[in-house]
Amino acid sequence: MDDSTYVILTIVAMGAVTFAIRALPFMTGRWLQRHPQVQRLGRFLPLSIMVLLTLHSLRDIAGSWAGQLWPEVLALTLVIGLQWWRRHALLSIAVGTLLYLWLRNGF
Amino acid sequence: MGRSPLLLSVPVAVGYVPLGAVFGFLFVQAGGAWWMAIASSVLIYAGASQFMMIPMLTAGLPIGSIALATLVVNLRHVFYGLSLLHLVPKNGLAKFYLIFGLTDETYSLLTTLPAETTPMQRVWLTLINQMWWVSGTALGAVLGSQVQTQLAGLDFALVALFAVLVVEQWRARSSAKPLWVALLSYPVAWLIWPAHALLAAIGMSVVAAIWLDWITHGR
Repeated sequence: MDDSTYVILTIVAMGAVTFAIRALPFMTGRWLQRHPQVQRLGRFLPLSIMVLLTLHSLRDIAGSWAGQLWPEVLALTLVIGLQWWRRHALLSIAVGTLLYLWLRNGF
Repeated sequence: MGRSPLLLSVPVAVGYVPLGAVFGFLFVQAGGAWWMAIASSVLIYAGASQFMMIPMLTAGLPIGSIALATLVVNLRHVFYGLSLLHLVPKNGLAKFYLIFGLTDETYSLLTTLPAETTPMQRVWLTLINQMWWVSGTALGAVLGSQVQTQLAGLDFALVALFAVLVVEQWRARSSAKPLWVALLSYPVAWLIWPAHALLAAIGMSVVAAIWLDWITHGR
């Protein structure tokens, strides 16, 4: 994050890729409609990616604490349960993070 | 005429301002400059991949890898345009902007608008939605650069956000396979390539998805 050039180039690259994906159907709409396997891939991958991102960021956080991981498990369970029940993203994130902060800092 | 675009975008504002603020806050707390957080929301404008870029930037992953991960995460957007082919304005810049701003929320709003909505009203709605996202980001970024938190574990918010997205993707799933593929590939990737476990796991999941599709549907 200290290297501005690296961050800026990443932002530009991500912007270009995202725009290209959104613009593709306006150029090759018929090609896409003829290739159902691409469509199925587009439905399959997001769930996998979100699970991987959850696991990866969880590992990042847990890595900074030696020993027991029950605060992570408890807070993550709460987030998933709340989101399943209330479907309110902000509420799930806020309550889960507060519980985690409390478990780790104990105030 | 129907209702004004500003009124229609209120539900999006309720989600975009706070979530944008979470992004801005976490970006700055991870060591990024506040204006770079805002630049991300102006130039990329894709929620999940913007959150994804935070751990990837702190890990110092190659730009090509981050771009590839962005491609995979945003792949679903390819199909948004398909249902909007006839609704985009003819004007070059307006058309360009509407395509650029096709996020999940904007897409679902645009597809539920009454048929008499003019193309320019759609463009305005898209622009107002991004304004919410950018304002939220700015708010969070400024807050994040003022607050010197002594609290350990605030970055759990990122885990929580991804978990929320998992639940929502799970609701929209057509099978449980994507979940199993991810749960299996991450530990394997971690074992064989610990420094780049996320990237390796994404690669393995893509290969597994293609292979599973090939088995069930043939070529």
